[in-house]
Amino acid sequence: MRVRDADKEKLVIEMAIDQIVRDGFQGFSMNKLAKACSISVGTLYIYYKDKDDLIQKIGAVTALQFFTSTVKNFSPKMSFEEGLWKQWENRAAFTMKYPKEVAFFEIIKHSPHSEIILDSIKEFADFRMIMKEFIDNGLRNKELVPMTFEAFWSVAYGPLYTLLNLHTEGKSMGGKPFKLTKEIMKEAFSRTIKALKP
Amino acid sequence: METDLNTIHVFKTNIATVDPNCQLRKTLDDHQDIKQWSIDHEDVDCVLRVVSDVLQPETIIGMINDFGHECQELN
Repeated sequence: MRVRDADKEKLVIEMAIDQIVRDGFQGFSMNKLAKACSISVGTLYIYYKDKDDLIQKIGAVTALQFFTSTVKNFSPKMSFEEGLWKQWENRAAFTMKYPKEVAFFEIIKHSPHSEIILDSIKEFADFRMIMKEFIDNGLRNKELVPMTFEAFWSVAYGPLYTLLNLHTEGKSMGGKPFKLTKEIMKEAFSRTIKALKP
Repeated sequence: METDLNTIHVFKTNIATVDPNCQLRKTLDDHQDIKQWSIDHEDVDCVLRVVSDVLQPETIIGMINDFGHECQELN
């Protein structure tokens, strides 16, 4: 009689993310993963049909984790400045807590798996609606300059992700050690919000 | 609803390819006791995965053998 083993499933997800971040999709295989988890390859196939199925299922778990944490204590009814700052805090907290998952997500984002994954998460549509409402409110309340979406995104989150990348690497330009603090984040945020306001 | 793990059977095979019109595909597709099946052709073991409430592993092995392929249950 087979029963679901939550610890084993968690280990498989953790090891798969580890291996994909290290070796990429090409270097990753079901056999290698089973070995790393000390389980039989047969057990792995009980849970996942093949490598693509595994990547997509684990991708969906990670994406959902990310969306959920991004909207934690956030409301689209917040003022634009307050809401965007909450988004920055949530995104930074997630990246700092789960650097490997974020690296995995980055690999997936640029692969053909990404659309399949996003389509498989019903919460993703809610997430998009929340963000749309937030931006629409900002525009209506004249707290935000109308911009092309991509231009908006790059200004609103670009500085944050640049800082987070430096933080993850642990060093800034010229190899100088770097750790992102709330003060530095606030400094960048105060300039960002100025750029977005009319 | 999640699939009951006890209805999933996994086998190591030597089925390298399954043509769209081949008899093996037709048999598995049309089998009334098979809910779902797939073969991972990327894997060295060409793992066959069958979801069925009724079929026993031995029956599935017999079916695959009849098509001239090797088939061994993976535990």
